[in-house]
Amino acid sequence: MAKPKVAVYWSAACGGCDVKVLDTNEKILDIAAAVDLLFWPIALDFKYKDVEEMADREIDLCIINGGIRNSEQEHIVKLLRRKSKVVAALGACAISGGIPALANLYDAQSILDYVYHKTTSIDNFQGPLPQPEYDAPEGRLTIPKFYDSVFALDQMIDVQYYIPGCPPPPSLIVKALTAFLQGTLPPPPATVAGEGSVCDECPRERNREAKVKKWKRIAQFTPPADTKKCLLDEGFFCLGPATQAGCEALCIKANIPCEGCMGKPQGVTDRGSKMLSYIASLTDASTEEEAKKILNDVVDQAGLLYRFDLPKSLIGGRRKE
Amino acid sequence: MKSVKSMQRISIDPITRLEGHGKIEIFLDENGEVVNAYFQVPELRGFEKFCQGRPVEELARIVPRI
Ligand code: SF4
Ligand code: SF4
Repeated sequence: MAKPKVAVYWSAACGGCDVKVLDTNEKILDIAAAVDLLFWPIALDFKYKDVEEMADREIDLCIINGGIRNSEQEHIVKLLRRKSKVVAALGACAISGGIPALANLYDAQSILDYVYHKTTSIDNFQGPLPQPEYDAPEGRLTIPKFYDSVFALDQMIDVQYYIPGCPPPPSLIVKALTAFLQGTLPPPPATVAGEGSVCDECPRERNREAKVKKWKRIAQFTPPADTKKCLLDEGFFCLGPATQAGCEALCIKANIPCEGCMGKPQGVTDRGSKMLSYIASLTDASTEEEAKKILNDVVDQAGLLYRFDLPKSLIGGRRKE
Repeated sequence: MKSVKSMQRISIDPITRLEGHGKIEIFLDENGEVVNAYFQVPELRGFEKFCQGRPVEELARIVPRI
């Protein structure tokens, strides 16, 4: 029987998701033996032209990591969608924009201006910005158009499966690929992750009576001597209760509060507001005024509550400078 | 400078087996000799901008995703 055909692509990504595919360790050999890899820029030398020449729906499974930040990425993911039977979004960037979508707080112009004119490490004395088209003496050169915002993959194309995390745990990648090979993937759309929230996988225990007088920064962090004490109860922004399970609470086991990379749990619409309601109910204030004051002391709420999912949030992004 | 009309172009798009995005355009003259080559980076995410104003200790959790 012919082997299933698989493609892997990255758009606005860091490479971490691709590395996690390789981090499946010796299983990568089984995976490589079980499928035909048709496209995987980080690992194999296939070109966009090779994808264009494929028949429609030729790829059985296309795994895409990274959000959509420019016109080339939009073009390639739409092309891959056409060439694929099943598309899976791998990692926070593809699922909900991820860290690069923190840029959605600014428009394209202010990002370009800062990066190419104002950073201390740049010496752009003539001041040009990258142009989508440039007429070199030998011919026209083109680069993609830089969009005003980052988009999640399913804001551009239909996505059947989601493998969350930043980066996703290799165990989930193996779980998804094994199910794909055995034909046991659940009906789409579906998320391949754990059950419940990160709190359900965390060795620490929430104390329902806990109250927080002052929310602290992780710079002030010394792990509570009692390894059972919940970090949220201790006044740290631990996004565990508003984060999809599946990472086995890796960060908390290393004494780092959860930053929410696994995305929102099933059934939650807006993760930031869900988390904010936990924070508000834990805040020890007798009046609304006092509560506001305590919460206003938190530096960079957007970056803490929506670190991985601004394109999918109700607040959307963009703040005026 | 050779005339643009006679230039042949080889596009390497994308460059592969490295971390990051890039393409290379190579221009050849009528004898197949390389006249010029351009390395282009079709990618920007803007970490320089969106890291500004965030708590410094959070950067240790943000910039590993560059
Ligand atoms: S989800 Fe995380 S690991 Fe994957 S590409 Fe985005 S930033 Fe990198
Ligand atoms: S809030 Fe954080 S530390 Fe507390 S139980 Fe949940 S995941 Fe664990």
